[in-house]
Amino acid sequence: MATTESDLGGPADLSEEEQRAVEAQLLRLADDEFIQAERYTFWQVRAPTLESDLSISNNAQDELGHARLWYDAVQQLGYSEESLIYESDPSDFQHSTLVELPFAEGDWADAIVRAYFYDVAEDIRLSALENSSYEIIRNRTSRIQGEEGYHLEHAESWLDRMALDDEAGERVQAAIDELYPYALTLFEPVGDVENDIERLGIRTMTLDEMRTEWETRVDSFLTGLGFDVPTDATPATPAGRDNEHTDHWHDLHDEMTASYRNLGRDKATLIMADDDE
Amino acid sequence: MNVDETKARAGPREFSPKDDLPEEYRKAATRMLEFHANSEIMGAFLERPFIRKAPSIERKMAFSAKVQDEIGHGQMLYRAAESLGIKTREEMLDDLANGDGKFLNCFHYPMESYVETPMIAFFVDGAAMRRQATLKKSSWEPYAHAMDKICFEEGMHVKHGESILRELMNGSRKEQRMVQEAFEEWWPRILQFFGPTDDQSTHHDFAAEVGLKTCTNDELRNAFLNTYIPKAKKYGLEMPDEPRIRDNGDGTYEVVEDDLDWDEFFTVSQNEYDGSIEQISGRRQAQEAVQWVRDMMDDQTTTNSGPQSQAAD
Repeated sequence: MATTESDLGGPADLSEEEQRAVEAQLLRLADDEFIQAERYTFWQVRAPTLESDLSISNNAQDELGHARLWYDAVQQLGYSEESLIYESDPSDFQHSTLVELPFAEGDWADAIVRAYFYDVAEDIRLSALENSSYEIIRNRTSRIQGEEGYHLEHAESWLDRMALDDEAGERVQAAIDELYPYALTLFEPVGDVENDIERLGIRTMTLDEMRTEWETRVDSFLTGLGFDVPTDATPATPAGRDNEHTDHWHDLHDEMTASYRNLGRDKATLIMADDDE
Repeated sequence: MNVDETKARAGPREFSPKDDLPEEYRKAATRMLEFHANSEIMGAFLERPFIRKAPSIERKMAFSAKVQDEIGHGQMLYRAAESLGIKTREEMLDDLANGDGKFLNCFHYPMESYVETPMIAFFVDGAAMRRQATLKKSSWEPYAHAMDKICFEEGMHVKHGESILRELMNGSRKEQRMVQEAFEEWWPRILQFFGPTDDQSTHHDFAAEVGLKTCTNDELRNAFLNTYIPKAKKYGLEMPDEPRIRDNGDGTYEVVEDDLDWDEFFTVSQNEYDGSIEQISGRRQAQEAVQWVRDMMDDQTTTNSGPQSQAAD
């Protein structure tokens, strides 16, 4: 593994300023993946066919696995799963509002368009992290990249099919119009920490560069299928990255953490380390 | 092959789609497989809310994987059923949606609390494992073959359920009390999983004669109780006073039939219990909402070069 000149080393080597920047990059990775996965699981036992049910379940579990890796990297900086998720305030989360929106029952077009927007953004983000100055980000990025490729293929092949059908095409167009501004929030800044993230080489592309590449790819693919892309849209508010969220997120967080609270838990169970017992 | 010849040849994995089997055999095998496949789907439907409610990331992953496994089992079993040439998968899934498809009694009862999840994932899945292990010797080879993979994955599910039960019973007093309450509510249903003890099941004799079933319900219930009563006690659960279960001391048990609500059981098995209606219509609604996607797929054929419209209009 090649290291960059300004390699930041491991968790213990970080200055306060560096840690703040690494944390900011990791948190959005973890939160985006976790909540995207959480919403994907809505489709388990609800997908159109048994086969599509199995595929979307795979995506959900991949994203959960990635979230687990990123949260673990945050925990190495002195946090816990409890403090990050189960005992946290909903406004501590920094995921894009794209991933927190609920699905209407039966709106498979929303599921696919959202997956597509997210997976293109994830592809670009991971390529901007593969040479990160923070080794843990570099290593985990390369572990994750293989799986994300399949997700993109999955979304694109559904869009190919739906583009050929009048009713499905209309539903896809409606989802594009609705979700595009929310997708742009993926490239919104968390705050002034963005300059440090770029200057320290934690991420090798600026948010504007990532957004431009995303817009170009999305526009070219969807226009090619005959869809209109609202390229003059501005990012939705709330953006999520700034810790401001829709009410849907507050409801989801409440539901997600209800068992933990009702049982009076103070520990989130780890089981995977005990697989061999 | 006529029925007598089928009975004479019956043995583990004896028959495959290459055999010319009597309609009576094919109908009996379809009935079993369809019931089993439906149960996988409805079990998954029952557990799916706990993917979201699971109290840690890793538990969430395990619930998501388990629910996915059940859908995969349904897929395999419907395929094994289709190969009998009596019903298509679509017909079976339609029947399940419209309330004609039958499935396991325990999946007719909605679950509210996380503490109920080991009642399914440990006890019911443990009970199902007993039955499924014997089906590896089914005379319908596609059924037996599907059971190889399914039993392996079900083994993982029972471990998942046991791990949740152990954690809860090692938790706070409040958790222990909640689990005990759930156990008392679920235990009679779990006993009924195997049907009435004096069951002269209308379908059993024929199914046994042609090798579709290799164990009676009484044998399966005894095997389950032998293993699971000690396990329940080991984790600190108290056996409810009723239904009364007499240990014969020789590995067999007598369950006092009058302590169980058989009216409810037969209402459940007719899909007419309140919970049956709730679960079946909940799933039907979800399936109807994506009918447009299936319609679209029916209108298209997929070729190696990508999707193409079936007809140019």
